[in-house]
Amino acid sequence: MSDAAMEISVNPDRFTRGSKLVDALSKAGLAFAILAVVLYGSVVSPAFFTSGNLLNVLTSMSIVGIVVVGMTFVLVVGGLADLSVPATIACGAILSLGLQPMIGPLPAFVLAVGLAGLIGLLNGVLVGYVGINPIIATLGIGTIGLGIVQAAVGGVIVYGSNPASAEFAKGRLFGIPVVVLIFLVIALIGHFVLSRSFWGRWTLATGGNYSAAEASAVPVQAVKAGAFVITALTAGISGGLLGLTLQSARPLIGAGYEFSAITAVVVGGVSIIGGFGSVPRAIAGLIFVQLLTNVMVLDGVRTPIQGFVLGILIVGAVGMDAALRKRGVA
Amino acid sequence: MTAVADCALDMRGISKIFPGVKALSNVNFAVKFGTVHAVVGENGAGKSTLMKVLNGSYAPTSGTIKVGGTDVRMRRPADAQALGIRMVHQEINLVPDLTVAENVYLGRMPGKWTFLRKGEMVRKAAAVLDELGAGINPRERLGNLSISQQQLVEIAKAYAAQPRIIVLDEPTSSLSEHETAALFRILRKMRDDGIAIIYISHRLKEVLEIADEVTVLRDGSMIETRPIEGITAAQMIRLMVGREVSNVFPKSPAEIGKSVLRVERISDGTRFHNVSFDVRAGEILGLTGLVGAGRTEVARAIFGLSRLVEGTVSVNGRQVSIKSPSEAVKAGIAYVPEDRKGDGIVPGMSIRENISLPILRRLSRFGRIRRGADRVLAADYVKQFSISPPDGERRISLLSGGNQQKAVIAKWLAARPSALILDEPTRGVDVGAKAEIHNIIGQLVAGGMAVVMISSELPEILGVCDRVVVMRDGRASEPLTRGELSEERIMALATGEEAA
Repeated sequence: MSDAAMEISVNPDRFTRGSKLVDALSKAGLAFAILAVVLYGSVVSPAFFTSGNLLNVLTSMSIVGIVVVGMTFVLVVGGLADLSVPATIACGAILSLGLQPMIGPLPAFVLAVGLAGLIGLLNGVLVGYVGINPIIATLGIGTIGLGIVQAAVGGVIVYGSNPASAEFAKGRLFGIPVVVLIFLVIALIGHFVLSRSFWGRWTLATGGNYSAAEASAVPVQAVKAGAFVITALTAGISGGLLGLTLQSARPLIGAGYEFSAITAVVVGGVSIIGGFGSVPRAIAGLIFVQLLTNVMVLDGVRTPIQGFVLGILIVGAVGMDAALRKRGVA
Repeated sequence: MTAVADCALDMRGISKIFPGVKALSNVNFAVKFGTVHAVVGENGAGKSTLMKVLNGSYAPTSGTIKVGGTDVRMRRPADAQALGIRMVHQEINLVPDLTVAENVYLGRMPGKWTFLRKGEMVRKAAAVLDELGAGINPRERLGNLSISQQQLVEIAKAYAAQPRIIVLDEPTSSLSEHETAALFRILRKMRDDGIAIIYISHRLKEVLEIADEVTVLRDGSMIETRPIEGITAAQMIRLMVGREVSNVFPKSPAEIGKSVLRVERISDGTRFHNVSFDVRAGEILGLTGLVGAGRTEVARAIFGLSRLVEGTVSVNGRQVSIKSPSEAVKAGIAYVPEDRKGDGIVPGMSIRENISLPILRRLSRFGRIRRGADRVLAADYVKQFSISPPDGERRISLLSGGNQQKAVIAKWLAARPSALILDEPTRGVDVGAKAEIHNIIGQLVAGGMAVVMISSELPEILGVCDRVVVMRDGRASEPLTRGELSEERIMALATGEEAA
């Protein structure tokens, strides 16, 4: 660490220094923003800084957070976005409840996640190998998947039939909700894969320069497809947990989760064009957005205004990414 | 008409300096109205740069330009167009989904679209096409036309703007002989209308046929302007290459062993056909030819970036079937691409991350990149190739072109290939880095590697290579050995003109 610092002081380079500064700012900026929201929330609403409220935020955040981990891979690999998340969440939720009477709760959960992964594989093949635009491919596959799930359960609400599994999903371990723990484990795994494994490096390289990665013997098609499989698996897990917690699942249970996840990732500063980003960044974005929403709700901000604020955040974050890219290239 | 007015274009003392490269050096270039003026020169002689100065894409570093006798200053292509200068590029620059008429008047719609009468536009386009004898229906969708017809639409588009000067860049590269004859009729008609035509071509036979005057460029300088009468193709070639071949690229002696990479009668079905060569351990095989002759396509196909439809590739005597770069790497072939920014580097990543990219799997255990493994690898190559700055954590996009190129070569050496294909490895790097890269290549072959070097630069090819294969129109010549090598011989093979 001190060696690196020496290098920089010995080797003053305007550009490197500039990009390091920008990097530090963008990281610290989000931390400051989170801090500011916490302070503001504590001032305007006595209900905000209570363990009950924060635990609530944390739990609801965890369900989206699991999807955020997967969505980070899609953005980093240059896959724009996965719009089939509502379908994979519904698949996870409905099957993990609906299959309980037949095969038991754990096998039902695993099978539900596996089938969600299959939807991701279809997305991945279409995007990575066939070369269809990810927005179109995931929208199409998501719509088809949702239709199949809906048809399978006859368009009705599915209820849970295994109280023990509900108990587990809603329970706590060492005082922390199980859902939060699962989210943390998945986030850690996601972070490890993206930052320390060869697959993660391939993902970053493919998003950073597809042709160069291809010419460097990176299996770019598989890497691109893999990002969609990862997202589908996380969304399947997220959906399964959602179903177990609610003990009921309707086909539209996952609606809106895709945009919440994309918002968090983008606000976290992960590049929408690919090649740059990390799981902790995306989660910082998630924390910020979730806390801000919570504060706005507690403060009685009207729903349209909330949407307005979130919209500004997204546009601002993407605009900043574009501006930084331009500087990075120049 | 006075003598001054005769002069459509008079460029004087034009220099263009890019960071580290002098692309044009004090070039004088004058063209008269009502003539066809050919510009010839090797790849990189400065033809394109000169034309980009002429059409306002580049501002010259120094020099003056007169159009029709008046001093002008052009800051953007629109300025050049306003002065009546039109360019017809080698690539088609048209909108396939619009009609021919819409394309001809694209961007020059008088008044507003909403009030434009389509019939009038079609009539005018038909008149222009008729005048050129093109035989194309102006209502046809452009995408339905053949490439050569589209080329004619490009020319019609330029002609319809009633230009004073038309620049044609390799207009016949996609035309058959018959179509070329038709094009020449059109050019003669435009010339007789008093238009000044600048004709850039590698095909010297065509230059002799159509041009009134010819200007030869070499290494960014104007060598000579001559009337076409009394000059032969052989003389033009000599003027194009006529520099002293100095020994600036000494190849270090290496023992030549047995054949490492052998390709036999490979074709991709479109851009190259029936190409065969082999390269032996310790040998540098040059692959040269004009831009577009199919060299890069051959390299990319061998490396699995595109598909072969015919022929075989073998490495160390064993036939291999390569469908992807990772299979090529497994077979022992590495490829340093021509387009460094596009295919060579991942700009947002560090030197370390770029160098370790092809062998990440080998550096990993249980999927995790071993701590420090890539750091050690990068540090080794940074030191060995004296990459500057010597900091593996530096973002690669912040390095100079030469240092980027060294990092890209290092990336491939880490994979320990037995054959290395280098595509224009010294393009756009400064002289010092060039020598270093040649040195590295020399060390590699001394270590027993087989190297294929694609280059358009003849002195480089002559200085570095043991044998040379020349490509023309997707076909490869027999390899020339060192004794048979000369710039004239290579240019003759590359252009299809036999030198005297």
